[in-house]
Amino acid sequence: MKLILVGMNYKTAPVELRERLQNYCSDQDIALPDLMGNPEVKEAICLATCNRIEVIARLGDAVRGEDFLKTFMSRQGNFDITETEKYLYVYRDIDAVLHLFRVAASLDSMVMGEPQILGQLKEAYRMAVDRHATGVLLNRLTHHAFQVAKRVRSETEIAGNAVSVSYAAVELAKKIFGNLKGKSALLIGAGEMSELAARHLIRQGVGNIFIANRTMARAEQMAEEFHGTAVSFDDFPSFLPEADIVIASTGAPGYILNSQMVAAALRKHKQHLLFFIDIAVPRDIDPDVGELDNVYLYNIDHLQDVVDANRALRQGEALRAEELIAEEVAGFEKWFNSLAAVPTIVKLREKTDGIVQGEMERFSAWLGGLQEEDRAHVEWLVSSVVKKILHDPITGLKEESSEGDELPDREAIRRLFKL
Amino acid sequence: MALAAYLASAVVYGGSLLERRVLTARFGAGLMLVALGIHTFYYLFRWVADVDIPSVDVYDTISFFAWAMAASYLALQLRTKTRVLGAFVAPVISVLMVIASIDLGGSVAGSAALKGTLVIIHVMLSVAGEALFAVASLAGVMYLIQDRLLRKKRDRTLIHLLPSLHDLDRINYICLFWGFSLLTLGILAGSFWARIVWGSHWQWDSKQVWTLLAWGFYAFLLHQRLAIGWQGRKAARWSLLAFVALLLLFILESFLFRSAHTFM
Repeated sequence: MKLILVGMNYKTAPVELRERLQNYCSDQDIALPDLMGNPEVKEAICLATCNRIEVIARLGDAVRGEDFLKTFMSRQGNFDITETEKYLYVYRDIDAVLHLFRVAASLDSMVMGEPQILGQLKEAYRMAVDRHATGVLLNRLTHHAFQVAKRVRSETEIAGNAVSVSYAAVELAKKIFGNLKGKSALLIGAGEMSELAARHLIRQGVGNIFIANRTMARAEQMAEEFHGTAVSFDDFPSFLPEADIVIASTGAPGYILNSQMVAAALRKHKQHLLFFIDIAVPRDIDPDVGELDNVYLYNIDHLQDVVDANRALRQGEALRAEELIAEEVAGFEKWFNSLAAVPTIVKLREKTDGIVQGEMERFSAWLGGLQEEDRAHVEWLVSSVVKKILHDPITGLKEESSEGDELPDREAIRRLFKL
Repeated sequence: MALAAYLASAVVYGGSLLERRVLTARFGAGLMLVALGIHTFYYLFRWVADVDIPSVDVYDTISFFAWAMAASYLALQLRTKTRVLGAFVAPVISVLMVIASIDLGGSVAGSAALKGTLVIIHVMLSVAGEALFAVASLAGVMYLIQDRLLRKKRDRTLIHLLPSLHDLDRINYICLFWGFSLLTLGILAGSFWARIVWGSHWQWDSKQVWTLLAWGFYAFLLHQRLAIGWQGRKAARWSLLAFVALLLLFILESFLFRSAHTFM
């Protein structure tokens, strides 16, 4: 079988090049007909995201097909064909299977474990199916890839933990409050980081957001964006009892929050748990605050540690994922290799069918003299004898090809039957 | 059979802690459900077959205690999705079942005074209440561990694995509340029975005194939680302390005193 995957990604090609190709490939109504227009391309899927552009195809002739795909990429990407080595990678047969599985499982992604790529692959596949560009091989291959991705996701923790500071803060908040729905947050300082954290919090269902900033205008602007409330900077301590999560990120030279203030707020607080995130340098919150009962304080270094540890964890999980994928590739390989026997089997059947047909015609005069029913019996008898004789050789061919590259039986059958 | 399933569940839960995977814990929960099913079936069978009315000897009591713990834990897990708590609950249940299975053969024949529906209700309610206290204290233990982890800011995979503080606190509260309600009803049932058999509601036997003490302790704890608003670390510590006290009283009492309750 001639399976091929040609592509470029964020590691091999600069963004200027990728975006040209992506612009072209993302319109599948142009890209797919172009690909399928070549007689050597039997099936094709075109995956175009901002980090990768890949074409996976089943080819008629391997050499001509590969040349076409490389030319196709270099033409659309507007780079010289001699530079293909630099920008493009080419995987053939089982290597292409491995690569596709790794992409689907997000092992090849810029942020390993990110979930979008699977959706993008599904979409690309759907587009190809709608345009009748897929067949037996790619259908089975992509479905297997989806299963692999699902398995990796559920059996490893590759996507388990936060790898950005603001998301790590949200994860921690969940470990304290369980569910963030209906919780309130107080942002002291309206910088970029706190804005990012606020976005994450809102996505998790945090209801009320209070924003205190030295420049009131900025606080109001952010309050509008997040449907929150802007409060005056000097007044923020009076909102402490209202908040469950406090994110401090001011440029103040010293501590603006100490344990007396928090203890006072805690007494008025309806809920009992308070989570402080101090992402300012120099720090805004006195470390003593973290010593209070039911109060948890994390500063930027703590969060960075969490992120670093999670990155390392993902690396470890990636190894497990690779093992899983190797297992799945081996499973797919069996079926994939058995496809190699298909042309021989088809030819063998054609030949025997031809012989049966020829002999039937030779005896047509005699057959014509028989009753309708008897004639049907004769035909059935002849074809079932042929089928029985072929059964074992065909099974043998399938088994042989699914096991390896050496195919002596296939060669023997081709030679003996003169296929 | 139920014992084997509980043990397997405990082992799998332990594995999930070591391996730090929620998936394994899910498997453990499944096993525990199977065990609970077998256990329940056993009770139903005995009830239908009417071999003997579930007697009130010490082994049956322990076995029922384990059953109540498993049932309440699994019910809570359905509501709060805190699977890993099972890693603490399952081993306790297993140990209890081992003790209970040492003597499954002959049940100690209680005196005539101890046969009757009201006695069974009394025992079942009290034991179920205490089982809920046990789950509450285990949730408390986990709360303290998670609290410590979050403060130390170190073992992140474990933080990730353990339930959130809020959920643990809620479990603790729910168990306290229902445990207390059941125990109260259990004591009342016992006291009505005592009135019928012995002629008075209250005999001042040692068991009754100690139980009243424990009951008072839990009443205090529940009051602090509801009225004063104790939550989180303090509440977790106290519920743990209360249960340890309950356990100590129970053991001391059975060794030191003989009373109308000595059968258990």
